[in-house]
Amino acid sequence: MTPNPASAAIPADGHAAAHGGGRLESFVYDDAIVRKFLWATIIWGLVAFLAGLIVAFELVLPSLANWTLESGSKPFGFLLPLTKIEWISFGRLRPLHTNAAIFAFAGNAIFCAIYYSTQRLCKARMWSDTLSKLHFWGWQLIIVCAALTLPFGITQGKEYAELEWPIDILIAVVWLGFFGTNFFMTLKNRRERHMYVALWFYIATIVTVTMLHVFNSLAIPAGWLKSYSVYAGVQDAMVQWWYAHNAVAFFLTTPFLGLMYYFMPKVAERPVYSYRLSIIHFWSLIFIYIWAGPHHLHYTAIPAWASTLGMLFSVMLWMPSWGGGINGLLTLRGAWHKLTSDPVLKFFVVGITFYMMSTFEGPMLSVKSVNMLSHYTDWTIAHVHSGALGWNGFLAFGMIYWLAPRLFQTQLFSKKMAEWHFWLGTLGILLYVIPIYVAGITQGLMWRAFDQNGALQFPEFVETVTRLLPFYWMRIGGGVLYLAGAIIFAYNIYRTWRTRPSTYETPVHTAPALTRAFTDPAQPASRLQANAGFGHKGDVFLQGWWHRVWERKPLKFTVFAILAVVVGSVVELIPMMMISTNVPSISSVKPYTPLELAGRDIYIAEGCYNCHSQMIRPIWSETERYGEYSKPGEFVYDHPFQWGSRRIGTDLAREGGTRTSQWHYQHFIDPRSLVAQSIMPAYPHLAEQDLDFAGIQSRVNAMAMIGVPYGSAVKAGKAEELAREQAKIVAAEIASGGGPANLEGKKITALIAYMQRLGKGVSSFKPAAAPPAPAPESDKPLIGEAVPAVPSVSSREGSGR
Amino acid sequence: MTTTTSQPINDPLTDHEYDGIREYDNPTPGWWHVIFLATVVFSFFYAIFWHTSPLAWTEQDAWAQAQEEEYAKLFGSVGEMKPDQATLLQTMANEKFMAVARSRFISTCAACHGTDGAGLAASGVNLTDDHFKNVKQIEDLYRVITVGANNGAMPAQESRFSVNERVLLAAYVATLRGKKVVGGQPAEGEVIPPWPAASPAPAPEPK
Repeated sequence: MTPNPASAAIPADGHAAAHGGGRLESFVYDDAIVRKFLWATIIWGLVAFLAGLIVAFELVLPSLANWTLESGSKPFGFLLPLTKIEWISFGRLRPLHTNAAIFAFAGNAIFCAIYYSTQRLCKARMWSDTLSKLHFWGWQLIIVCAALTLPFGITQGKEYAELEWPIDILIAVVWLGFFGTNFFMTLKNRRERHMYVALWFYIATIVTVTMLHVFNSLAIPAGWLKSYSVYAGVQDAMVQWWYAHNAVAFFLTTPFLGLMYYFMPKVAERPVYSYRLSIIHFWSLIFIYIWAGPHHLHYTAIPAWASTLGMLFSVMLWMPSWGGGINGLLTLRGAWHKLTSDPVLKFFVVGITFYMMSTFEGPMLSVKSVNMLSHYTDWTIAHVHSGALGWNGFLAFGMIYWLAPRLFQTQLFSKKMAEWHFWLGTLGILLYVIPIYVAGITQGLMWRAFDQNGALQFPEFVETVTRLLPFYWMRIGGGVLYLAGAIIFAYNIYRTWRTRPSTYETPVHTAPALTRAFTDPAQPASRLQANAGFGHKGDVFLQGWWHRVWERKPLKFTVFAILAVVVGSVVELIPMMMISTNVPSISSVKPYTPLELAGRDIYIAEGCYNCHSQMIRPIWSETERYGEYSKPGEFVYDHPFQWGSRRIGTDLAREGGTRTSQWHYQHFIDPRSLVAQSIMPAYPHLAEQDLDFAGIQSRVNAMAMIGVPYGSAVKAGKAEELAREQAKIVAAEIASGGGPANLEGKKITALIAYMQRLGKGVSSFKPAAAPPAPAPESDKPLIGEAVPAVPSVSSREGSGR
Repeated sequence: MTTTTSQPINDPLTDHEYDGIREYDNPTPGWWHVIFLATVVFSFFYAIFWHTSPLAWTEQDAWAQAQEEEYAKLFGSVGEMKPDQATLLQTMANEKFMAVARSRFISTCAACHGTDGAGLAASGVNLTDDHFKNVKQIEDLYRVITVGANNGAMPAQESRFSVNERVLLAAYVATLRGKKVVGGQPAEGEVIPPWPAASPAPAPEPK
């Protein structure tokens, strides 16, 4: 492109205007807060990686403990008790791992980046040191609260939003009240006329994460440590994946793009490849990303239009995502030789490469027919780890290697160790993701495989899991390498810190304050030779001068960013709430009985949704395996929904009535006594711990408050009475099957009541030849007509599903 | 772009500078525009086709069609089966039907009865011995599968499986009898007379 005369003239006066005008002010940057966030990033990173390694190990642990030599001895049999410890079961620890990786490790990394770069890009100290400190300590408090609640089963049961409502409120206050306020006030008080692209991404991050967090976390408390999502079933699923997908977008992508835009040109010492690409990919990215959430729900009970929107906006997201990757990598033009000598650049280049691979893979996985294979498998796990370990991890590492010598005002302790970290990390990622891709595709293909007779080739679910164990072992190898690299990294930074000066220098900077008097550069001329007025106008617009004006108006910019993310949100979520045809109702679906509700809460507390789905897709191989596909109307009382995202165990949507209560009892106590190769944790504690019957009332009342028709069960004491009544029946079933007597006061009874209820709302489906008679619903309605009968043995017999 | 030595870049720079960071005034790559536009155009036509065209089908349509095809493939030649003694005995001899039934048995029944049918502790009865609790003759297997038994401990499968599938399952369970799997659950119920011999009529052959 040839620079046009108009824009060539800008530098002289434009530059002067941008920097001139006000009185000269001096200021120092607050690097102490950046150092704090840097340490928090490193420490929580180690915790997150270790937690990941532990949960990865838990998946192979049962088979290892049961590994039997020819002599009959089990060399690792001593490990078996580990599968029975409630606080470290996979279902409780996996959320700890994901929360630590996303909010503790990546979170502190982006704060580190934002606090360092924002001050410099604004030529201003953070607006309030107090808010900076409140932000730092508040965020660490949130993380500690997460670590103190999740292992104890205190959770909302929504993926990546598990933390209970008091912590949610704390998050909102720390994020917007402390961090957001501090950031925007710093922007307001900046001494740099225009905002650099990194700041655009920070703005989008702050406003969108606020919106996502607040709307996804809306819940009715039923006590200090328990709440129910205000959304149910399909609506909850849509809101949850709108949130979770955009947590990837606005917590793991946009702030890291901002980080990249600041640190990449700094490290490479090269100008950014293309300013105009920054503009178009920023706006297209934030506008399109927000729509993509429903691609996590393909083939589920969401309406077809939502699924289509989720897929198409994901496909359209490919190039906006790659715009960032291109701008990052091409910034290295003319400096590629530095890659051989600078470990920081190595981390950045590999990180951006993983970003580009993931953001190609994401659109591909969102194509419905691809998703049909990949959904519920390890493919998704591999995908997110190539993003998290490659993109987020490597960008954070690269940034810290560059920052540490500057923040600690010394030399990096060992460049060689950084090189080792780089290679261990890279090999670790590959050794993680490649086997897990294979595992995902293997399991997906096994689920859908039919033999020549048209029957499922692998009808036994556990076979599709045990086949993956070799890959799970390889993943552990990858995790060990990645963690080893991170330990070397932490040691390297620690030793770097040890060589810091006794007191840090605080260089004083000067810059003129911004004045109101500023004239934007003149609108450029059209570059077209011969065309109508419209063409000229278009060309002028395409030169992007108007965006330059926005860049000096943070408020206006923020408003437009909010609009960009609100449009998709409103279009997808509001119809889901308002238009009843999106969730056709099923009259036979009744609310959970008080005992079933208590059982469901145990299901959620144990994190069962981390391994079990409750969503049968309309796919032939699925209905052959699990029964009739799930309907939207079945979930109208599911606060929150529990469709799950990964099947390490079977789908449970139609579990009710397929096995005896005694079977469930024995399976919870010792899964391997019934399914020898099962990798499920054991839950003996559920048969020992008493169910809090008295606490059920407040739960029923909270559910009633969000519209679940509980009728007279909300009367004080009624819920407990009903629960006890049903518990007796279920306990009798267990005892009559040969199980222990007197389980009616135990948690396991409630959980089994819930298990026996799953999928029972829908009458029947398949027998094309002979439709069954309508299920005799109940002989003894419990609470008016709204509440289902206790599924007693007599009513279960002969009833359909 | 992929040179290994430093080369001067002569692209035009913007006048922007932030903390020492400069930006080139390069245009967005042409291929970027082309692919972006292509995804938008694709999306437009995809949405129009799948949500307005009479030629489009839904996921549920595809599932129903699969059901029809699979049923036709399996039962096309036999039509609706009768759960009577003769049919059950003939079906027991049909290798293909027994292979299909085995898969169903493993995915649905094995949780309690074990993959080999020998039962699991305090869960499903052993189906490989000669003792039966609710079965006196071979048709009773069909009845138990259909309506359940033992106060629902054996759940009714009426709504899960079609008549034909239940016939297949009943016949399959009948074939398990007498296998006497080692290590199976202890026998429950009474010894009943052996199944009658199959009638001379040829077993129904599927297509």
